[in-house]
Amino acid sequence: MNPLSSQIASIVGTSYLIDDLADYPAYAVQGRIPILVVAPGSVEELAHVVAAAHAAGMAVIPRGGGTMQAWGRPPAGDFMIVQTTRLSRVRIYEPDDLTISVEAGMTMQDLDALLAVHGQMLPLDVPLPARSTIGGVLSTAMDGPRRLGYGTSRDLLIGVQVVEATGRSSKAGGMVVKNVSGFDMMKLYTGSLGSLAIIVSANFKLLPRPRAAATIACTFNTPADAFALVAAIHASQLTPVAVEYLQKDEGGRMKDEASMSAVISLIPHPSSFILCVRAEGLPAAVERHIRDVAEMAERAGSSRMSVLRDEDHMAVWAAINDLPQTFSVADDELLLRLGCLPSDLERALADASALASRQGIALAVAARALSGIAYLRVRGGDEGLRHQFHADLLARWPQLAILAGPPALMAEAPIWGASVPNLALMQRIKQEFDPDNRLNPGRYVV
Amino acid sequence: MDRTNLVEELRRIVGPRGVVDDPHALMTYDADGCVMDTGIPQVVVLPTSTAQVSGVVRLAARYGLPVVPRGAGTGLTGGATAMFGGIVISTARMDKVLEVDTRNGRVLCQPGVINFDLSQQLKPYGYQFAPDPSSQKACTVGGNIANNSGGPHCLKYGITASHVYGVELVLGDGTVLWSGDGSPAGPGYDLTGVIVGSEGTIGLVTAVWLKITRLPEAVRVVLALFPDIAGASTAVSQVIASGLLPSALEMMDRLVIKAVNDMYKLGLPDSAGAALLIEVDGVEDGLDDLLNDVTAMCWRNGAIDVRPARTLAEQNQVWAARKNAFGAMGRLSPTYYLVDTVVPRTRLPYTMEQVGRISREYDLPIANVFHAGDGNLHPIILFDRRAKGQNQRALEAATSVMHVSIEQGGVISGEHGIGVEKQEYMTLLFSTDDLAAMAGLHQSFDPQDVFNPGKIFPKGRGCGELAALRKAGVAWATLK
Repeated sequence: MNPLSSQIASIVGTSYLIDDLADYPAYAVQGRIPILVVAPGSVEELAHVVAAAHAAGMAVIPRGGGTMQAWGRPPAGDFMIVQTTRLSRVRIYEPDDLTISVEAGMTMQDLDALLAVHGQMLPLDVPLPARSTIGGVLSTAMDGPRRLGYGTSRDLLIGVQVVEATGRSSKAGGMVVKNVSGFDMMKLYTGSLGSLAIIVSANFKLLPRPRAAATIACTFNTPADAFALVAAIHASQLTPVAVEYLQKDEGGRMKDEASMSAVISLIPHPSSFILCVRAEGLPAAVERHIRDVAEMAERAGSSRMSVLRDEDHMAVWAAINDLPQTFSVADDELLLRLGCLPSDLERALADASALASRQGIALAVAARALSGIAYLRVRGGDEGLRHQFHADLLARWPQLAILAGPPALMAEAPIWGASVPNLALMQRIKQEFDPDNRLNPGRYVV
Repeated sequence: MDRTNLVEELRRIVGPRGVVDDPHALMTYDADGCVMDTGIPQVVVLPTSTAQVSGVVRLAARYGLPVVPRGAGTGLTGGATAMFGGIVISTARMDKVLEVDTRNGRVLCQPGVINFDLSQQLKPYGYQFAPDPSSQKACTVGGNIANNSGGPHCLKYGITASHVYGVELVLGDGTVLWSGDGSPAGPGYDLTGVIVGSEGTIGLVTAVWLKITRLPEAVRVVLALFPDIAGASTAVSQVIASGLLPSALEMMDRLVIKAVNDMYKLGLPDSAGAALLIEVDGVEDGLDDLLNDVTAMCWRNGAIDVRPARTLAEQNQVWAARKNAFGAMGRLSPTYYLVDTVVPRTRLPYTMEQVGRISREYDLPIANVFHAGDGNLHPIILFDRRAKGQNQRALEAATSVMHVSIEQGGVISGEHGIGVEKQEYMTLLFSTDDLAAMAGLHQSFDPQDVFNPGKIFPKGRGCGELAALRKAGVAWATLK
C-alpha cells in the first residue's frame, strides 16, 4: 500500500478501499483505470478522503451508480474514484411537509419506493433507476419525459450539501419549498458534472402521486404526422405531463436494442414513428386527455391509437426512460443529445434521419417533443461513417453533445457541441471552486 | 470626483432626458419599499438599450463608482438602495415586450416591463407569465429575476427561477453575455440559474427570454372561513395529501379579515379567525368534483362557512382582497413592518402560535397573511413610527419571529430577498464555509464588486474578504 492508500484506509477502513487490481476494470472511466477506488460511509469520511487526496495532489472522480460515467472526456492524468453509494440514508422526511432530505448515494428506485408508501413522488424520470443515484442525476442534470409537466431537477432541488475540492463541506438552500436566502448554489452544482464539488446530500420538494394516469400511444406513417399531433397538443389547453416522440430504426438494424424493443413490444401495432402522451391527475381529467388526444391524433393522420393503463402504462414509461441510458453502449454505437428550440425539433430530426439513411447507419430517437431535446442512438456502419454522421449533424445543429462513444472520439471530438458560450466566465467559476483542477479534471467544458 | 463631467458624459450616453441629477429628485431614489435603510445616489440614469447600460457601467468603472440596478423600487429589503452612493441604473425606460413566441412558449422582453402588464399582453395569445407577486401591478420582471420572486401561484407553477430561459447580462467591465434562449441543455454551468436571485449583485439584466404558461382551461376558487388558524392549517394538509396540488392556498387571519372586509365589503363574519383561499385549475373535467372534495374537507375541519366562487367576477373579488391585503393595512395602523420567512408546512400552526406570543410580548398587533401551501409566512407588525420606542420594538419583534422560524427549520426569506434588511441574519442560517462558497460564485462574476455592493453578505464579512480567505485555505474553525 502506498502512503495515500494507507491514509485513506485509516479513514474508511480497509474493506471500503478497493485495491485489488482485478476489480478495477469495472471502474474504468473511458478506458482509463483508477489508482484507487474508495467508498466512504459518511459525509465526514468522504470529506476526509477528498482532503487527503487534495493534499496528495490526486485527482478525484465522483461516482454514484456509474450509469453515466460514459459522459465527458477521458480524465486527464491519474485519478481515484470516490464512490457515493454508501451514502444512502434519509436525513429528514416529514411526509406532510412534502419535502425530503437524502444522501446522494441513494438510488432513484429506492427513493421512489420510500415515497410511494406515503403517496408521494419525486417526478424525475431517469434511465436505470435501480442503479442511478441522486448525486449522479443531479450532477448530470439528466432529464426525463415528464420534464414537460414537472420540470427538471433544477426545479425540484431546494437544498444541497457538497464537499468541495479541498474537502471543505458547505451547504445552501434549505428544507422549505420557497427560499431566497442567499445565492442559489443548487443551480450551480446541478449539471456541473462533478467538476466544482461533490454533491453529498440533496433536499427536494415532492408532489402527491396522481390519482389517475394513462398513456395514449399513437403510431404514424411519417414524422410529419406525428409532429402535427405535437403542435395540436401544444396549441390546446391540455396539460399532459409528457409528450415523447419515438423513432425506431427503419431498417430494423438495431434488433438487440433492448429498451426500444421493450417499448415497441408494449404498443399494439407499432410503426416506425410513435408519439406517447402521458396524462396524470384527476380521473376525469385523464379521460378527457385520452378523448381529446385520440381526436387530435386522428386529425393528424395517426394510423393507430392505443390506450395503456396500469402495469402497461408504467412499463412503457420505464422502457422509454431507459432509452437514453449510457451504461451499456455497444462498441459500434454513439449516444448523442441534440438540443434546439422545440419548433426546430422536427427539422433537426429530419436532418438526422436523412444523414443516417445516406450513410447507411442505424438511428433510433427518443425526443421530449415539446422541450426540444432528442437522444439519438447511432449504430452500425464503420467508425468513420459514424463520426462523419456526428460531424455533419453538428455542422447544422450546434447543440449536439456526444454522451457516449469510443474513448478516442470522446477525447478528440467537440463532445459538448460546436461551441461553449460564455466559456471565459465558466473558467473563472471553475478557478474559484477548484483552482487546482482536482475534480473530474478535463472531463467537462472547463 | 468631478460630478459635472460625470453627468455630462452620462448625458452623452443616454441623452439629456435619461439623467437625473437634481438633488431633490435624487431624494426620491433614496430607498425602495424598505424605508429603514436609505442612501442617496450621486446620479440616476434611465437608459433605453443594452448598449447604453454597458456604456454607463464602463463609465462607472472609470470613476470607481458602484452601480445599483433598480426596477420599480417595490423591493422590501433595500435591494435597490444605493448604500454607498454611486450610479443608480433604473430600468424604467426599458419597458418593451420585444417578441412573443408561442410556438416555443417564450417571450423576449426588456427588464423594465411590469409583471402584470406582461401577463395582460400575453392574454390574447392564451398565455400568462406565471410568477405573480402581490406587487405585480408595479414591480418589473427585472426585479422579479433579481429577487427570484414568488407569489400565490408559485405553489403549483414554481418560482421565477423556473420561468427564466436566459438573460442578457452586463458585467462589471461593461461586457455583455447571453445565458440562454429557450433551447434546453446548453453546455456548461447553469449561468441563468445563478443569475436569478442574485439581487443585482453580479451584473445587470438588460433583456430576458421568459417562459410563458398556457392559461388554464378552468379555474375554481373556494373561500373557507374557520374559527382559528389551526383548523384551517389541518385543512391545508388534507387538501395537499388528497393527491392534487392546488394552484394557490392562501391564508388570512382575523386582523387581515377585518381590514379587507372593511375595504372590499366582503361581508365576512366577525367570528372568523382564519380565511383560507383555495384555488384549483386545469382542464374543466373533474374540477367540480375536486371543488366538492375540497369543500367537504373544509367542513370536516370545522369550517364555519365555505363559499365556492365559480364565476370570474366572484373569483376576482376574493383575489382582490388577498392581493391588496397589504394596502388594507393602512386601515389598521399608520405603519407596518412586513416580515418574510418560510417554515416547513407542518410547523406553520406552532410558528403562528409563537407569532401570537411575540405580538403580546412586544405589545404590537401582528396581522398575518400568508402562502399556507408553501409554509411562507408574512407576519405584518403594525406600529406607529411616531410613537416613542415603537420603531425599535417592531424591529425586535421581527428578529424574534426570525429566530422562531429558524428554530423550526425555516429560512430567513422566502421571496423578498436579503438585501440590506436581512444581511445580518445570514449567519443564523449559514456557516462561514457556506457563505464563502456563495462569495466565490459572486467573485467569478463581479470581482471588482461593481454591482450593488454591501448587500446579502453580512456587514462584518464582506464578499471579497470571504472569497480571499477561502482561496488562502484558512482553517475556518478558527474564524467562527
